[in-house]
Amino acid sequence: MSSVSGPGKATGSPDNQELCIQKHVEYVKRLDSRRDELEYWLTEHLRLNGVYWGLTALHLLGSPEALPRQETIDFVLSCQRENGGFGAAPGHDAHMLYTVSAVQLLVTLDAVDELDKRGLGGKEKIGSFIAGLQDKESGAFLGDEWGEKDTRFLYGAFNALSLLGLLHLVDISKAVEYVKKCENLDGGYGIRPGTETHAGQVFTCVGALAIAGRLDLVNRDRLGGWLSERQVENGGLNGRPEKLPDACYSWWVGASLAMIDRLHWIDSSKLAAFILRCQDPDAGGIGDRPGSMVDVFHTCFGIAGLSLLKFDGLQEVDPVYCMPKSITARCLAS
Amino acid sequence: MAEHGIPRYARKGERTEEARQQELRKIEKYRELEQCVREKVATHEYTPETLQKISELLSSNPEYYTVWNYRRQVLRSEFSRAESSDSDETTANQVAALIKSDLLFLIPLLKSFPKCYWIWNYRVWLLDEAKRLLPASIACRFWQEELGLVGKMLNLDSRNFHGWGYRRFVIETLRELKSAEQTDEDMTKAEFDYAKKMIGANLSNFSAWHYRTKLIQRLLNEQSARDEERKKMLDDVIPEELELIHRALCDPYDQSLWFYHQNLMCVFDPAVAAQTMAPNLSDSDRLEYLRREIEEIEDMLDGAEDCKYLYQALIDCTLLAWKVEGITPGDGQKRAVLSWLAELKKLDPLRQRRWLDFEQSLGC
Repeated sequence: MSSVSGPGKATGSPDNQELCIQKHVEYVKRLDSRRDELEYWLTEHLRLNGVYWGLTALHLLGSPEALPRQETIDFVLSCQRENGGFGAAPGHDAHMLYTVSAVQLLVTLDAVDELDKRGLGGKEKIGSFIAGLQDKESGAFLGDEWGEKDTRFLYGAFNALSLLGLLHLVDISKAVEYVKKCENLDGGYGIRPGTETHAGQVFTCVGALAIAGRLDLVNRDRLGGWLSERQVENGGLNGRPEKLPDACYSWWVGASLAMIDRLHWIDSSKLAAFILRCQDPDAGGIGDRPGSMVDVFHTCFGIAGLSLLKFDGLQEVDPVYCMPKSITARCLAS
Repeated sequence: MAEHGIPRYARKGERTEEARQQELRKIEKYRELEQCVREKVATHEYTPETLQKISELLSSNPEYYTVWNYRRQVLRSEFSRAESSDSDETTANQVAALIKSDLLFLIPLLKSFPKCYWIWNYRVWLLDEAKRLLPASIACRFWQEELGLVGKMLNLDSRNFHGWGYRRFVIETLRELKSAEQTDEDMTKAEFDYAKKMIGANLSNFSAWHYRTKLIQRLLNEQSARDEERKKMLDDVIPEELELIHRALCDPYDQSLWFYHQNLMCVFDPAVAAQTMAPNLSDSDRLEYLRREIEEIEDMLDGAEDCKYLYQALIDCTLLAWKVEGITPGDGQKRAVLSWLAELKKLDPLRQRRWLDFEQSLGC
């Protein structure tokens, strides 16, 4: 399965306004052929996330078949542990982050029923692993049995459980209360109550509220103002005041703005141009900034950012799930 | 996560056969080490040698979260061994020695990979184990030393998100563990001074300003719960805060400072005042502060007419004053706001449509 980074570089020139769709498809397909590079092995702890980033990018690029379906399903299932959760690769410990990627992948591949077929306890087994990570007192979620709390995990739990139709397994209102406690006066959200606003955390908290149907709790104008100030002169978005722009914030900031109907508050053509400058037009892939090494993480979120902006030639992305809209619509309707 | 800010390098192209062979040897070595660790853990061989192998593996790949979990298992087993000793004192000494040496192992890793979540997580776990297994006085010393470490980390990168979160976490735990003679207030004051020092070193440090907001609230809660005393203190605190931010705003182009300013203005907003340092100011006090604030910002415009944040703050304060007064503004009152808005639209083309939405909301 795909490796996470390298080997290209982002060298898009300012005038190159083309999205190199075919190159990016080839880049993602090539990632798994790099077993003779040390980097491939050093990034094994991200493998399942990497497959999710790669497959999502391919779907948005209009090449959903570019990765072999059966092999991908086999790999995902090989990462499941006895407790129902998934690790990053076979033999790695179960953790919320990989369990969410596994669910997103199975849903994208329309293969949730494979869990039943192969006698792995079905989706309920995954549901109970995730539900077991909720802290009953605070409503927050832990990443794994070792106890780290972070609003990323709360969002992940809501994301996966809602896709599986199992949200009823957790205390939604307690979790919503916890998210509310992470809100700051600037309208944004932190990693835990009392911590400063960070665009990544804004995405997870607003995403969780969107899934819970509680976007009424968001101060849209105040948060929209903070988020729109993430755009800097070169068109890119940063994650906090006075930080450098980064292609992946096109997603965290852009999707948050989209969820609160304020995406038009930033200059979308300038943002699109920034993302395009982060491409490697020769070997494919997107990096964090123009001139940086490309990797599949930034490739996925750069393309997802462009999709939010309705960029020509891309499939529509769901701002809540970072999956193709057609797939979440199908899944959530059933 | 993934690659951030790694500069481009010339694409590898075809590696020479020699380079390829060399890399393959490295892969083989790495995978052998990994295999060795996995086997030892699978057979519950929780020995110092296993710990050594785990250390080697983590030093070459600190992102390997499963191996951090292995390390926890080995440590837990060593703690249990120590607990089987006859005297409580020997147990405590052994456990403390294990924790101390493991904390030391992490230092070079944190220096090389300051943004790696897993190392920070592991460190917190280790310190929690100290809290769980050791007498409070000893555990407290471990946590106390963390303040020194996190101070150094924040000196190297004063916006490190993990660093600030970690500091807050250490302080919370120290509050639980502290001895009777130390008061909450002393601790909050010490942290307040720390935030002040960090702001002094770099006015544009939003993380430090944010910390300051939280600490002021805490300090007020600790010092007094009653509104009239709080009001008296606020008579000192609010002008002091306003003065400080005005002085800092001698560079009005700094976004971080304006977000702090926006936070401060929430004190005068009846809808959110409850979450601020002064929940119960009277409306006439609020209005008075806001009027003075508007004048102050108008003065700042002199020589900084191209600074969009000033117009934004003027609009925010004016709208807030209308809200406190409970008035629907007439055309005359809207005129000033519209003139500031016209400047904003000129100065801030990136957010053009935000300002158009706002204009529409004014009903103009």
